[in-house]
Amino acid sequence: MRKLYLRMRSLLLASTSVIIFFILWELAALYLPSPYFPDPYSVLKAFITIITVGDIDGYTLAWHTLMSLERVLLGFVVGSATGVPIGILLGIKPTLKNAVTPIIEPIRFIPPIAWIPLSIVLLIGMYRYIFLIWVGVFFPVLLDTIAGVKRTSITLIQMARTFGADNKKIITKIIFPGSLPEIMNGLRVGLGVGWMCIVAAEMIGGEPVGLGRLILKYANLLQIDTVIVGMITIGLVGLAMNYFILFLEKRLFRWRVEIKA
Amino acid sequence: MEKAILLESVSKKYDVGSSSLEVIKDLTFDVNENEFVCIVGPSGCGKTTLLRIISGLEPPSSGRVLVFGRPPDPKRQRFGVIFQEDSLLPWRTVLGNVEFGLEIQDQKEAEREKIAKTFLELVGLQGFENYYPHQISGGMKKRVAIARALAIDPDLILMDEPFADLDAQTRSFMQRELLNIWSKLNKTVLFITHNVEEAVFLAQRVVVLTKRPSKVKQIINIDLPYPRARLSPPFISYRERILTAFHEELEVT
Ligand SMILES: Nc1ncnc2c1ncn2[C@@H]1O[C@H](COP(=O)(O)OP(=O)(O)OP(=O)(O)O)[C@@H](O)[C@H]1O
Ligand SMILES: [Mg+2]
Repeated sequence: MRKLYLRMRSLLLASTSVIIFFILWELAALYLPSPYFPDPYSVLKAFITIITVGDIDGYTLAWHTLMSLERVLLGFVVGSATGVPIGILLGIKPTLKNAVTPIIEPIRFIPPIAWIPLSIVLLIGMYRYIFLIWVGVFFPVLLDTIAGVKRTSITLIQMARTFGADNKKIITKIIFPGSLPEIMNGLRVGLGVGWMCIVAAEMIGGEPVGLGRLILKYANLLQIDTVIVGMITIGLVGLAMNYFILFLEKRLFRWRVEIKA
Repeated sequence: MEKAILLESVSKKYDVGSSSLEVIKDLTFDVNENEFVCIVGPSGCGKTTLLRIISGLEPPSSGRVLVFGRPPDPKRQRFGVIFQEDSLLPWRTVLGNVEFGLEIQDQKEAEREKIAKTFLELVGLQGFENYYPHQISGGMKKRVAIARALAIDPDLILMDEPFADLDAQTRSFMQRELLNIWSKLNKTVLFITHNVEEAVFLAQRVVVLTKRPSKVKQIINIDLPYPRARLSPPFISYRERILTAFHEELEVT
């Protein structure tokens, strides 16, 4: 009973703040001098148009979203497939990690946008997207994997050794499963960052579809209402992905006391 | 008969920063096959270190260590080690933990489960197969670790204060269980403790270590039939003898 009450209350609180947000937006649209700043209503209209009719080239919002998702997921797969193994390697070989840290650390702070010119020069087509998303995914995955590996209990490794485990078994049966909570956290953050790179990635590449493209296309036309449609969609899809992985984490890590509590 | 464990003037030094710490110095003793030997010694004297050396996790700094006639190597010999600290895999269920050693030794899956269940029953944990370590008590965790060590049919069982954090009742129950298992399975057991009464209750021989750097202070044969009565006069006199030796080590500084 009390639980239901608390739920209702938090739901009410959440919807109140959403309503207040829209009222403030409406007021801002009324009083801001710019003719290009749309109010919520015109954004809603643009939303419906893009969903049903499509944009100036005829692509619907679902299509834009799917294309962006495809690119981000590809980049995400490559980012995890590189980040996790390299993270495990660096985690178990501190000397190697110390050796590459001066290379990795500064690169980590270069934003995806700064990589655009290089990727135009060096890569073509889908590879550009994948590379730019990879830049966003790789580092969170790498760092969290290293952190997870470092947390591995020495007692567990010694225990496995007394049973005769070789290094391969120690990695697959102790270090990897033990670091999985951190790795999953890295994947979640990595997917989020990768998703946020979508606009940067789609700034290049001639194709007219993708949420980033949609935003850029309508920015050039100065139709800000549709730009905001693209922005909101990016935000909502990112949110959904985040909750999806959080849900997976909860199911996977029932053995973790911290998550249960 | 071949010795199960043979230690000949074993020493171990650790380098800590710039100084070095001598933990074990010139330690010599042996353990016969199927024998139950307890090691007692003051805290920090190097008992766990000794166990790591015997199980091949660490080499000695000098001296000779032989387990069944060869240098210890867990890849070629079967050791059942029960660690002082919690050593269960938190992401595996109780059953999965007991299967772990068998899995490392490439036992087939169907076999694995059958064997694991047998040993869970042996330690009285049937019904807890699907619990995770954080859902069972400390004493139960120790029993899972014991089942896991026994499941691989070890040639040598090495136990590091396995019952130290159990309450008195569970502890004496586990001691009796261990003796049952030992007489049933015919294993060599090296059991570390700093509880003298426990040593007298369990062991055929008790090795008393000196304080660090530790060597053998005294080896005492316990010539009492099992099961032993803790309040019988000979039991008490053994206990007093060992306690005296033990306390000398605690007092001298
Ligand atoms: N890896 C290590 N590096 C440096 N010093 C160590 C290491 N392992 C153990 N020591 C030191 O060796 C000494 C003996 O440690 P050990 O764990 O063997 O003691 P113990 O007899 O098992 O003690 P307790 O009864 O409290 O478990 C301690 O002083 C400890 O600090
Ligand atoms: Mg110890």
